[in-house]
Amino acid sequence: MPLVRTTFRAMASDNELQLFAATEARARAVAAAAIADVARIEAKYSRYRDDSDTARINRAAGRAAVAIDAETAALLAYADRCFTLSGGLFDLTSGALRRVWNFRRAPPRVPDARALEAARALIGWTEVEWDERTIRLPRAGMEIDFGGIGKEYAADRVATIVTEQGIAHGLVNLGGDVRVIGPQPDGTPWRIGIRHPRKEGAAAAAVTLDSGAVATSGDYERYFEIDGRRYCHILNPRTGMPAAHWQSVSVIAPLCIVAGSCSTIAMLREQEGETFLREQGLPYVAVAPDGSVRGPALEPAR
Amino acid sequence: MAATERRRKPPRRGSLLAAALALPGIVPAAVHAQSVHDRGWIELKYLDYRDWQSGANRMGVKSPSFYTLIPVSDTVEVEGSVVYDAMSGASPLYFNTLSGASGLGVTDYRTAGEAKVTKYFGGWAIGVSGVASSERDYLSRGGAVDLRIFSDDRNRTYAFGFAGANDRINPTNGAASNAPRNTVEFLVGITQALSATAIVNSNVTYSYGHGYFNDPYKLLDKRPGDRSIIAWLTRYNQYFAEPDGTLRLSYRLLHDSFGSTSNTVTAAWVQTLPAGFSVTPQLRYYTQGAASFFYGPPLGTGFVFGQPFTMDTRLSAFGAFTVGVDVAKALSDGWSVDMRFDYYRQESNWRPGGGTPDLLPFSARWILVGVTKAF
Repeated sequence: MPLVRTTFRAMASDNELQLFAATEARARAVAAAAIADVARIEAKYSRYRDDSDTARINRAAGRAAVAIDAETAALLAYADRCFTLSGGLFDLTSGALRRVWNFRRAPPRVPDARALEAARALIGWTEVEWDERTIRLPRAGMEIDFGGIGKEYAADRVATIVTEQGIAHGLVNLGGDVRVIGPQPDGTPWRIGIRHPRKEGAAAAAVTLDSGAVATSGDYERYFEIDGRRYCHILNPRTGMPAAHWQSVSVIAPLCIVAGSCSTIAMLREQEGETFLREQGLPYVAVAPDGSVRGPALEPAR
Repeated sequence: MAATERRRKPPRRGSLLAAALALPGIVPAAVHAQSVHDRGWIELKYLDYRDWQSGANRMGVKSPSFYTLIPVSDTVEVEGSVVYDAMSGASPLYFNTLSGASGLGVTDYRTAGEAKVTKYFGGWAIGVSGVASSERDYLSRGGAVDLRIFSDDRNRTYAFGFAGANDRINPTNGAASNAPRNTVEFLVGITQALSATAIVNSNVTYSYGHGYFNDPYKLLDKRPGDRSIIAWLTRYNQYFAEPDGTLRLSYRLLHDSFGSTSNTVTAAWVQTLPAGFSVTPQLRYYTQGAASFFYGPPLGTGFVFGQPFTMDTRLSAFGAFTVGVDVAKALSDGWSVDMRFDYYRQESNWRPGGGTPDLLPFSARWILVGVTKAF
């Protein structure tokens, strides 16, 4: 059974799809269908496209309600649950903070208190009026952002499409968020490296999966350092400040969307992150502030 | 399954026939008394429950309980019970990929009480009861009416029951606020004395619940808002004079609109021994199919985001054995003591045809000690 590996770029990430199929042509056809759906989700939820659902909803902030379909409603419902279970730390409206935290600026600068306060005033998931058919952001300047779950949801969709097309062994990796479709054809599980938060190209640990997903949130994707302190892009909507405890948290879950949101919530919960993951019953690998690696899913990196 | 077994009520005592009443081991399984009991009694019990996975303790429950039955006149008796559960620990683990286990997750307390009045008439009896149960995040109130009709020769009892419960769920994390769940249950049953030494009982219950069934503490747990369950339970008790013991057999078939069907077979032997002792070894086999919206490994097939979904391993497919033994001793002046030990183990491959793959085995044990005083 040939393994066909396809790499592609979408959602501002380098992605890959590995599929075992009866023929190479079959694998390529299924990969094309899966990649088309990733592109569909990107077009629908990207903040950067004027015609996306996200852009339509954000443009109407402070004005009228915007019609949404069942898929968007399901994502909102999931985000709502994340909000509740994270005590408000996972907030789809926290995008306003991105406008005051610029990780590309040189020299870097921590936003002043007044700018943070102004941004925080535009955050508030509980104020958003939404149901299964419409959503309305109550104040001008508010925005929602599916960035915290869109890529992971796309990985789950790939798994669904690929499985429906009869493929039982494969793996999709969307920018480091991995969803596995069955074990490898000989029954051995996939071995997935967890990126080292401080050494580019090195693995800090590995996990083995024959189903489900692993997703990682870390302080190394976008960040700057001032006076030895690291400020990363995972922002706490209550304080306006970056998450400041774990170097990275990788979570294993049956769905990539669950793995991704739980790893983000664990980062934001800081010292309480492990407690949260235990409550959810999910295995994880966490890289502690001192660089030590811990967690119930841990296997040594080879 | 373990979670429901843990909360099963202590067996209620009663009798069917005068002949059967006198037989050791028949009595506790039959809940079909045909007249007010001659004596009342008080039971104090203490249950210690613990479960574990991969050698690591998960959940523990310490549960003292009190039960009394008091005949207040020739035709009326009352029953009352109170139980207090102190639970601590973590919910079951999901994957087989664990190389270690995690610590505590849950601490909770439950207090529950039940009161019942039964009035006997010539050929029938009616019972009315109320029950309430309270946890930090859960309040349940219910009531029930049961009617029993006795045949002229008293060898047969027909039972009809109706129960309703109103629950309110208030998760501590605010995932739901005062979420309601209402349940109604109907029972139809028949108990027949086949001889002076054998009784068969069969009943069918149907329950329908509407409301909140989700696990509010899990990120992805969405269950249907309606649940109906139909269960058929048949019990057969046969006394054997020669070894002076009673064989108890039971079978239950249950179908749940969540998509799961379960089968339970139980066999027990009640052996009377000298000096007021009795020993009851018991073996039970239980197997259930997975709920239609349970997703364990392998995942992915046909799942549509937003549709019902759970990873709750209690809704997975598995088989389980329970082995237990009860030792009781009757003392003078109406006192008796008993001690019971049960060991439960659940594995996915103990289900015929295989259960949910890659789930960790789950084990539990119960220790129950009790003191009873008849008056």
